[in-house]
Amino acid sequence: MSLANPLALLWGLLIVPIVIFYILKIRLKRVPVSTVIFWRQIFDEKKPRSLWQKLRHLVSLLMQLALLLLLVAALAKPFFSSEVLEARRILLILDNSASMNATEVTPSRLARAKEEALRIIAGLHFQDEMAIVTGSAPPQVVCGLTGHQRTLRSAVENMGATDSPTQLTAAVALARNLAVATEEGAKHNRIVVISDGCGEGTAELARAADVALITVGHRSPNIAITRFQARRSTIDPIGYEILAEVANLSDEPAEDVRLAIALEGRTIDIKPLKLGPNGRWSEVIESTTADGGLLTAELVIKADKDFQPLVDSLAADNRASAVLPKREPVPVHMHSPHGNLFLQKVLEANPLVRLTTSKELPKQFASGTVTVFHRETPAQLPAGSVLVIDPTGDCDLWKVGNNLQNPIVTQQDRDSPLMAHVRLDNVILPEARKLTFVPSCKPQVLAGAVSGDPLFALIERPEGKVAVLTVNLDKGDLPFRTAFPIMAMNLFGFFTSNSGELREALPTGATAEVTLPASTAGVTTFSLRAPDGTTRKLPPGGVKTTVGPFDHCGVWAVVPDAPGAAALDEFAVNLMNKAESDLRPPEALPAPATAAEVGLAGGFLGGPAWWYLALAALVLLACEWYLYQRRWIS
Amino acid sequence: MPLFDSDFLKKLEYLSLISKRVFRGSLMAQRRTMQKGAGIEFADHREYTPGDDFRYLDWNLFARLDELLLKRFQEEEDLHVYFLLDASRSMAFGDPPKFDFARQVAAALAYIALADLDRIAVVAFANDIMADFPLTRGKGRILALLKFLEGLIPSGEDTSLERVATGFVHREQRRGLVVVLSDLYDTAGFERGLDILRHRRYEPHLVQIYDKYEKEPDGMLGDLEMWDVESGAARKVTVTEKNLRQYRLLFDDFQTSVQRYCNRYGLGCTRTSTEIPFDQLILRMMRQAGSVR
Repeated sequence: MSLANPLALLWGLLIVPIVIFYILKIRLKRVPVSTVIFWRQIFDEKKPRSLWQKLRHLVSLLMQLALLLLLVAALAKPFFSSEVLEARRILLILDNSASMNATEVTPSRLARAKEEALRIIAGLHFQDEMAIVTGSAPPQVVCGLTGHQRTLRSAVENMGATDSPTQLTAAVALARNLAVATEEGAKHNRIVVISDGCGEGTAELARAADVALITVGHRSPNIAITRFQARRSTIDPIGYEILAEVANLSDEPAEDVRLAIALEGRTIDIKPLKLGPNGRWSEVIESTTADGGLLTAELVIKADKDFQPLVDSLAADNRASAVLPKREPVPVHMHSPHGNLFLQKVLEANPLVRLTTSKELPKQFASGTVTVFHRETPAQLPAGSVLVIDPTGDCDLWKVGNNLQNPIVTQQDRDSPLMAHVRLDNVILPEARKLTFVPSCKPQVLAGAVSGDPLFALIERPEGKVAVLTVNLDKGDLPFRTAFPIMAMNLFGFFTSNSGELREALPTGATAEVTLPASTAGVTTFSLRAPDGTTRKLPPGGVKTTVGPFDHCGVWAVVPDAPGAAALDEFAVNLMNKAESDLRPPEALPAPATAAEVGLAGGFLGGPAWWYLALAALVLLACEWYLYQRRWIS
Repeated sequence: MPLFDSDFLKKLEYLSLISKRVFRGSLMAQRRTMQKGAGIEFADHREYTPGDDFRYLDWNLFARLDELLLKRFQEEEDLHVYFLLDASRSMAFGDPPKFDFARQVAAALAYIALADLDRIAVVAFANDIMADFPLTRGKGRILALLKFLEGLIPSGEDTSLERVATGFVHREQRRGLVVVLSDLYDTAGFERGLDILRHRRYEPHLVQIYDKYEKEPDGMLGDLEMWDVESGAARKVTVTEKNLRQYRLLFDDFQTSVQRYCNRYGLGCTRTSTEIPFDQLILRMMRQAGSVR
């Protein structure tokens, strides 16, 4: 046996004053009484008769000395070398993934898992150490190796629920890294996983020799939205598409399920669903609106009088959301000396376009306006986005040459978004103009003739983008082709940078990249706001940074650190994880085990020696107090 | 602060007036004394106790009821009132001291008696008779009495009521009312002394005085040295809650035994704490005297 704090033995010197006080005896308080008639009757009734009663003073002294020695021994912290050699290092992985929020056990799987974890902590022996790692994505060490039970309990109790997917394999790898192998210590390392078993790789982990799996919960049915995405149509300027998928992750049919889809609270569609056992429903829903906002899908599981309602134990996957970008109106000014009805109608066909026309060349052009020049162009093209069709005069970017006779489109930039869904094969383009671009201009040829001359080109200027179509609309049949309005649509989508825009709804556990502006309304610091309103600080603006991982379903937002400031960016985060939504553990998983069954639950023994010494001292103190109160000492 | 100041004297005068107005004929000289054989008017019966004069036994009742009952007569005469004042050290105990309270009560009763033309005498005692104020009459003697009372010091040890009563009854004096003012802490028991007075045809009236701390000795818990103020003996004890409960029981038993003794022999008995003012006690005694009559 060794002493961890041998200096504490000096407290043993307190024996000296105790013995001195015993010998000298403390002067008692003198209390006058008018008569001792009654007191004599009381005290003379029980005269000391036995040897024990005669020795009670000595017994009291011995008890006090024993009490002191026990306390001194406790302060010296004695320990046995075997305690050090047999110390365990427990790496506890507590699964707090989305499936642990299932409520088929009261109050939830996670709460049950925490109870098991607390039992293990209570069962820690002296010199044992424990670390706690989360089992959701990404695995994190929430408490490093320590034997301090209060710290460990606090870490377990403060571990919050998440909607992140399970990553037990990565968590076990992290735990193995933590378990620093020492010559004697390696054999005492134990990795303990407390999980519901739902998630990938759990069955393999259960078979690992160094892993003990404690399972909570049981097979439970669940209906989940497994996919939900929305995007703007690439063709229709105000159209959008929703991809929704619902899965019945149970062995029972779900007869009366409805999927209600709403945009900013306004219902846009309700889909009645009938799902067989392990059935799946998927559909692309199309709709139109220029308004953007938050699209939500919610599963409503109803009970008919003939059907019992399906018990749905997980709420996180019954609701999904997606951000639909808003389409802003685009002011367009068309200048054509003689007008062109086809061109004007094509422009007006776009519901986002707010068209104005002129036949006289305006002296000034409003900023933020897309300007369309038909034939007549100013010598200096205005700033902003410009479309030039059939130019007849020179400008600062090109010089107009001779006509190209019946050019055929032989080259087409199929990768350009401007040419998406556009086929110019066999389109007659007579009297297309030959353009000679100034050397500083680097045009991107979107469509070119066999001679190599550009027929449709894009020029990126610092002042704005310029697209030029050299085709004479009055001579050719391009205005009659469907390619023409599609080209116009692509062009305006390109000018406004929102063609076919997709704001992908992210699965929980994912991260996203955002570029923070240097400053917004004087604010240079930004935060990531979680769906529950809590915020996390982001790096100062002006940098590209990664936000996340998003560990809860809902809408996350990057906001400037100013009250009432509008969000810079929003991310819809949904569970969308079939493995996580499936609340049925794999068949290959061993039978559920508890902390007690894997030999980790607490018992009374196992504490440090000083604790028992202190306990003995406490018992002795209680005895001494009892004896004192019972007037064994007088 | 003097024991008998002007306020005290005012209270005495007030009590004297009250006694005449409300209790006329029911106290002291205006009261008909229970002198056996000397009276002519039959009053009532009481149980026979050893020592009573056989001549006053009601033989007719004995023949009819087979019970020995004593006939009592009322005698109209001026009353001799004797005050036996306990001056032992135990009377110095308390806040206010029991001895001060006893002296005030004695002075008040004496004043009322003197005002009613009765004769009074005061005997201070402890182990034996310590001081005497001889039999006197007349209201004008009250100041001399007060001076005598003020001069008394509670310094006696080992109260012995029996010895005091024996010495008292052997004096050549008329029978009368004997007001015993004491805490009755007599290790040999207070009964023997009172028996002697009764047997010698005195009419004892007990005024038992105690301090609140004697009744409820709170704060006497734990290890302490108990010091008997009367004997000066000290004793180291540990007082527990249980001991305190036992003490309260014994004290209550003692009080009950005093009352029981007086009830048995038809004696007047007033048990009082020093917490109540002496004048209230006198009024209470007056009411008791009126009610018992």
